[in-house]
Order: sequence, then C-alpha cells, then structure tokens
Amino acid sequence: MPHKTFMAFIWPSLLAMILFIALPILSVGYQSLFIEHEQILIETETCGPFGCTAEVSVDSAAMADLRAEKPAGRYNGLGTYTNASHLAFDEITEIFATSDNFTEIRTRIMNLPFYKALIFTLAYTFIVTPLVIILGFIIALVVNSIPRFLKGPVIFFSLLPMIVTPLVGSLVLFWMIDSRGIIGAALQALFSDPSLSLKASPALTWVTLFVYGVWHSAPFAFVVFYAGLQTVPQDTLESAMVDGASRWERVRFVTIPYLMPLATFIALMQLMDNFRVFEPIIGFSAAASATSLSYLIYNDLRAAESPLFGSAAATSMLTIIGVIILLLPVLRRNWREFNRKT
Amino acid sequence: MARLQLKNVNKRWGSFVGVDNFDLDIADQEFLVLLGPSGCGKSTTMRMIAGLEDVTEGEIWLGDRMVNNLEPKDRDISMVFQSYGLYPNLSVYENIRFPLRVRKVPKEKHRDMVMKAIEMVELQDFMDRRPAELSGGQRQRVALGRAIVRKPTVFLMDEPLSNLDAKLRVSTRAQIKNLQSKLKTTTVYVTHDQIEAMTLADRVVVMNAGKIQQVGTPTEIYDTPANTFVASFIGSPAMNLVEGKLEKGVFQGDGIHVEGLPAGPSGNVTLGFRAEDAEIVEDQGQIAAPMYSIELLGEASMITWRLGGALVSIKTNKEYRAEIGDIVHARIPASICHLFDTASGERIDDR
Amino acid sequence: MSSLAKRKPPSLVMLSTVFVLFWLVVAAFPFLWTMWGSFKVEGDFFSRADWMNAITGPVTQRQHGSAFTLAGYEGAWIQQEFWRSVVNTAIVTLFVVIISLTLGTLGGYALARSGFKYTFWLLMAALVFRAMPHVTLVSGYLLPFFQLNIWGFLPTTIIVLVAINQPFTLWMLHSFFLSIPKDLDEAAMVDGCTRFQAFRLAIIPVMWPGVITTGLFSFLLAYNDFTVTSMLLTQENATMIPKINSFLGSTQEEGKVMYAVAAVVSAIVPLFALILFFQRQIVSGLTAGAVKG
Repeated sequence: MPHKTFMAFIWPSLLAMILFIALPILSVGYQSLFIEHEQILIETETCGPFGCTAEVSVDSAAMADLRAEKPAGRYNGLGTYTNASHLAFDEITEIFATSDNFTEIRTRIMNLPFYKALIFTLAYTFIVTPLVIILGFIIALVVNSIPRFLKGPVIFFSLLPMIVTPLVGSLVLFWMIDSRGIIGAALQALFSDPSLSLKASPALTWVTLFVYGVWHSAPFAFVVFYAGLQTVPQDTLESAMVDGASRWERVRFVTIPYLMPLATFIALMQLMDNFRVFEPIIGFSAAASATSLSYLIYNDLRAAESPLFGSAAATSMLTIIGVIILLLPVLRRNWREFNRKT
Repeated sequence: MARLQLKNVNKRWGSFVGVDNFDLDIADQEFLVLLGPSGCGKSTTMRMIAGLEDVTEGEIWLGDRMVNNLEPKDRDISMVFQSYGLYPNLSVYENIRFPLRVRKVPKEKHRDMVMKAIEMVELQDFMDRRPAELSGGQRQRVALGRAIVRKPTVFLMDEPLSNLDAKLRVSTRAQIKNLQSKLKTTTVYVTHDQIEAMTLADRVVVMNAGKIQQVGTPTEIYDTPANTFVASFIGSPAMNLVEGKLEKGVFQGDGIHVEGLPAGPSGNVTLGFRAEDAEIVEDQGQIAAPMYSIELLGEASMITWRLGGALVSIKTNKEYRAEIGDIVHARIPASICHLFDTASGERIDDR
Repeated sequence: MSSLAKRKPPSLVMLSTVFVLFWLVVAAFPFLWTMWGSFKVEGDFFSRADWMNAITGPVTQRQHGSAFTLAGYEGAWIQQEFWRSVVNTAIVTLFVVIISLTLGTLGGYALARSGFKYTFWLLMAALVFRAMPHVTLVSGYLLPFFQLNIWGFLPTTIIVLVAINQPFTLWMLHSFFLSIPKDLDEAAMVDGCTRFQAFRLAIIPVMWPGVITTGLFSFLLAYNDFTVTSMLLTQENATMIPKINSFLGSTQEEGKVMYAVAAVVSAIVPLFALILFFQRQIVSGLTAGAVKG
C-alpha cells in the first residue's frame, strides 16, 4: 500500500489519538511544572463603635483575573515533583536520618501519600496478576474436562465478574462484606468475633481489594486459557500418554509449555490494567487505607475548592514513567523480533 | 494483445533483495511460466507486473506503455490468485460479473459476456451458488472465469493449481492450456511444480534466490540445464549429480568412473545424468557400488546408490531383483552426461 | 478413543465438579444476591438480625405489604432521575461504538495491508497508549477543556472515549484484517477497483464478524467507563456509572442506599443480556489478541 493511500485510511484514527492521547500527555507534562496561584489577600478595615479592626480576606476578583490570565498557575519548575505529596525528597532524607529501625521507616514512609499509593499500586499489580493467571488456568483446565452441555452455561456465568463495570462489581461485593451483609455476617460467625469488619483494618482492606481484583480478572485468564486448551495438539498429548506420562505430567510437560505464550499475553494485559487500579478503591470506599496512583490523581482533580492541576499532573507524569518502565521488557522484545525480521 | 517487457527489474526491501535484475521480453500470445522454489521471487515478479508491488528499479512495459506507476486497475490485466480471492458474498455469476461492474462496462453487455465466460469454464449449473458451496475445482474455475470475462492484455496466474488435489490438477491443467490457446492472450504463470511448467509453457523461466537461472523452452531446459540448480529442479526424479575430478576426459568419483567425456575442462566437476537415460548392467558398469535401496514405482523400478554424499538413482525394468547391499553395476555412457563446475554450478560442456 | 485413555478416576471427577460449583457460586452468586435484594428494603438487605431476612424479606413485608418492593427502583429512576443517566449512557455508547468502529476499520485495514516499517511503530505506540491510565489523560484534558469551554458536554466525552478506545480497536481490527486473505482485495484491484473501492466492495461485506466483536468491546469500554465520564461531565449530563457513584455520596441516610442498589442492578441487567446474546463473540474477541501473540 503506498504511503498516500495508507495515510488516507489512517488519518482519522491517528488524529484522534494524537489530539486526545499524545497531546494530553504533553499537556500533563506542561501543567506539572506549574502550581496554583498564591492567594491575593487584601486588608480591609471595618470600623464600628468599638474601634477599627483590620480584616484580611481573599481578593476573589483579582484571583479570577489572575486565573484567566495564567490558567496553568505560576511556574514552579520541578518543585511539585519533589514536594511532600510527591517524591518528598526532603522528607525521605529526614526519615532515614532520624528513624531508629526499619519498622519506623516503613510506617513513616507509608504516611507519605505518593509512596503509600505507589506501594499499594505495585502490590496490587504484582500480587493480583500471578493469582489471576493461576486461578484462570485451573478454572480452564477443570471446565475443559466437564461434559460439553455444561460448558456454555459455565462460561456464561464465568464472564459476569469481568464484564460488569469495575465500580458496580466492587459495590456489589462491598455491600455483601458489610458487617450487615451476608459475607460480612458469615465471617463474623465463622471467627465468632462480632466486631470483625473487613473495612476496619488497612491490612484486611488490602486483602479485600486483592480478592476483588482476582475475582474481576480471573474470567479473562480463564477464557483465554480455555480457548488455548482447545488447540493443544492432540498428537503430542497422545504421544505423551503412550510414553507413559501421568495426567499431571501431561499437564506439566505438554499443556503448560504450550500455553506459555498465552500466559505472557495475559500477564501483559493484566499488568497494564492492574497498574491503573482505581474504581475498586472508590467502590469499596477504601481510600483511607489504600490509595493508588490513579486515585491520587482523581482526588487532586476533585479537590474541594479548585482542582490541583499541578499536583495531579506531576503524579500523572510519574505514573506514565511507571507504565513505560512496566512495558519496557515487552517493547524490547518486540523491537528485537522486529529487527530479526528485517 | 500485447507484448510484455521487463527491463532490469529489481525489488528490494531494505537490504533484502527479492528480485535481482530481472530482464525478459515476453512475446504477444506467449505462455510463459515462472518456475522456482518458494521464496525465489517468482511471485514477487508477477505481483510487480500486476501492480500489487512497487518496482524498486527498472521498467515494466505493457505493449507500448510504461506501467510502473499505474494502479493495478489501469494496467488492463487479469489475475488468478492462489487462494482464488473470490468474493464470498457474491454468487458465481456476480463474481464473474464483478470486473465488468467496476470497470463500467455497459450493463446490457454483461449477461452475454458473463455467460460466455461461464460456458468456457463449464459452470452453467452453478451460476447461483456462493463460493462456499463449491468444491475446490469449481472455485478455481470461477476465478478463471472472472479472469477471462473481459479481454485483458495479459493473464497472470499465481500458482492457481496448488490448492487442488493431484487428480483435479491434471484435468484443470489441460483446461487452462486449452483456454489459453483459444483466447490467445499473453499469459504469465507462476508455479513451483516443474511438471506444470513443462506441460503448459511455451517458455520457462527458472528462478532461484531472486535471479533468473535459465530461460528456454521446456525441452531446452530439460535437455541442457544451464547449471546444477536447474538440473536438480527439473525432471522427476531430478538429475543425478555426483561430485568428482575430471582429467583428460575421464571422470573419477566415489564408486563411479566415466571415460570419453570432453577433454577440455578439468578439475573439480559435478557429473550429471538422468535416471531414465542410464541402465543397469551385469558387470563392467561405470557405477559399481553396493545398492542402497530398490523401490518399485509401478511401471519401473528405481535403484539407488549412495556415492560420496549423494544419492544416485537409475530406472530399470520392474522385474529387476537385488538385495540391499549387493554390488550393482550401471552403464553411464559419456553421451548422456552433463558436466558442471562444482564451485560455480555452471555448465561447462558445450552441448 | 473416548473409553480407556480419557477415563478419569472418580476422585478427580468429584474434585473438578466441586471446583466448578464453587467457582460458579463465586462468579455468579454476588449478582444474583444483589438482584434479589434490590427488591427489598434496606432493613432486609442489610439485616442486623438475620441474613435470611434478605431472602424472605420480613421488614419489606411489614413496610410494603409484600415480600418484594419496587421502592428502590422508584427512588432511583424517578426521584433521583436515574433515567436521565440511562439516556445519556445510551447516547454516549451508541456514538462511541459507531465512531470507534468507523475510524478503527479504516485504520486497522491500512495497518494490516501496509508492509512498511512505520506500521510497526504505530502499533507499538498504540500499545503504549493502551497502557496509559485513563485518569492521567483526563488530568491533561481538564484545563484545556475549561479554557476552550467544551467541558461538560456529551460530544466532548464521546470523542475522548473514542480516542482512548482507538489503540485497542486498532489492534483488534488489525489482527482481524490480517486473517482476511490479501488475495480478496488484490483480486478486486486487479478487477478494476481503486483501494477504496476494493475496501468497500470486497472487504466490507466480509468484515462483519470482526467488526461486531470489536464493537462489543468498544461498547463495554464506553458503558463501563467511570474515569472519563465522572471527570468530564456535568451532573445533568452524567452517565450511569458516575451517577451511581454520586448516589453513594448523597444517599447514605437510611433507605436511600437501596436507590444505589437498584441503580446498580439496572446497570448490570443490560450486560447480562449482552453476554447472553454475544457470548461466542466475546470469547473469540478476548482470545483474538492472544492467538496473534
């Protein structure tokens, strides 16, 4: 296809992606260098019968003018990146200088919003992803062995947790784990502890979110593996049988190696999706004990008075860098393959 | 009707050379076959003629027009594809009518033209079927019908028989040959099957690794292959090739000794001869070596030796019996031998 | 072949049956439970006394004279004007799907048929774009959108969702077009078509399976989106998911939480229907990317 025809076909799509994905990334980068305007204060004197009092207030008219003039705020360089709610260099140095032991360091770092979110995001990504792959694989193996007429309905119900909107899905679970909901009540009965609440402790909230993540994504892994299982070469399986491999050995030496590329694919998709974990935190009202990078950005943009664009943008930039680091192995592999081809 | 010229045509992708300096003049009404193993550049050459692939260097002339920069639709060619490229949503009739429709041939002419093409490819009974409801051979004929429905200046056929089973291939081959002689349209036909090439072609172009190896009539190519590649590619079984030393007209290889060859060349040569030209003898043969295998082919038997690194086969009558490992002799007269330079592979005798 | 080699020990059959049942409960029970509970009052759905109440509904019985009540739905749909959000969602998803597919089929076709190096780079860029957390992009939109005065409107959101959707749509349709033999459009071009005519006459008639599958996923993305819609739409223009979220903030007082439950169930039901009708396409779509690697 000549270049001209190619462009004729692809330009609308390309334009959409440049305008609404590439440019916003630049816009984020630009905004991250700015910070909200300082408040302009005016002093007014009100005199009453008991003398005059000076009152300091925000000059809202002047503020509005300033905002209209410089919407991005005032230039702050990389200041936003290093302040306490982002990379917090000063605070980190101080923590390491003044803390006595590791536990203290950990607790104090977990109090820094950015690190708290980063640690949760990474934990979520790297705990949920492998669990999803393992659980999905087991479900696929088992479903593959049940009678044919049951497979359709089973797949139907299996798809539900994945298809349903993350926010809605997490709300459904959230209501059930409420201490007055069925799972919450059942857990209280099980541990005979009437004050047990999954929402109360940070650790339990983390576990709840992980469980939700696995529940939400396992169907995806299941469906992909299940489709893969249909194409496992029967010849190889049968020759393994003839060679005397047990059921488990056949799975171990034929099925798993054959499905490895699919596992890589699922891992890639899951890493991308889990890294932006966000809706469940809202659904489970879990922000107090677990926040993610995406949640931080959301929260800044939702700030009570006016959105903290600079702060949100700085977190966004750091998140984008995180995504690129995450994708680096994949990009490198593709690049190598591409070079080998040409 | 047109003559088709390719003037030093090259195709490169980056540093990879697909077609290297292809230069050929194809006469009007000629049936030309491009023959070679997969990846040799024969399909690329055809696709450049069709305009589906850009020409990196060189010129393609169709009649008196240089067509390099013309869209496929403006070249006035028609093409039969390997997997046919039928429109699955259209009936046989509509498939064949498609070129007329998009080329804005007046509507009232369509029916006559399509019906004529359908008759030529004998699909009268299947006109209203969809391609999915046809057998492989019938689909193939739809593709042919679509190619002939208008009178193009050149037919291009890209391995049109390779998806058919062996029996059907033989009959469709004959049909194609017959059609071409009736229509008298210049045809370029790509195949990797040397039998198709031999049976169909006025001239064969043997290609390998992007280069033309030899151009000639089927007989020329069979009788005087230009190099070891052509020798080993043409004929069934392929020509036997044995490496050895030639000195003063005497060839000496492992288990083979031939005298009376041309006295001129000497040194490391490859001796070639065809299985059907040599014969088994009781003793005093040019080959005297333990037999490697014997296979009954039906009308004949094939005796094989392992000489040096190569397997050498000779056809003999089907009653011949010997045990594997017996010393068996064969007569290889100098007159049936071909000599090639071992290093370059080029023919060195002057037949 | 089925007899000897495929026979399984009874213990394994038991184990796998139990496992499948367990998984089915895990996957489906929460939804069935919530659907059932959405017809109760809060005192039953969140019962302090006995969880069985959520099934039998004694409080509901007491308050409404029947074990089932539509009070939650009435509150959500009429009182809180959830129907508005439903209409907005319908508009957004419809246009997102149509526009995404139009742009995506053209682009995906070009990517599948062009042999040049830059297609590789475009696909890689699309992969990186696909991985961007949507909220990072939203933080890039907000300020310019405020400035241009296009914030809060449905068309803005539609275009943004289309763009965010593009990388995925392009990948999927690209691999789908690769599976359509090149011979088809090349035959059309030799027969006398331009590239566009070949696309229109030869490719469009056969591309529907892939387009439908991709369309389903575009639909899901638009339907399920929370990040973009919650940040870019005004209250009046809110789609279902942000609307549900706003219920949570405003309706924590007694009784109102059932509005949210009813709204959640209303949002789930169309997805149920979707799987029911398009299960095969969804499964094939999920695996389409995987098969190509």
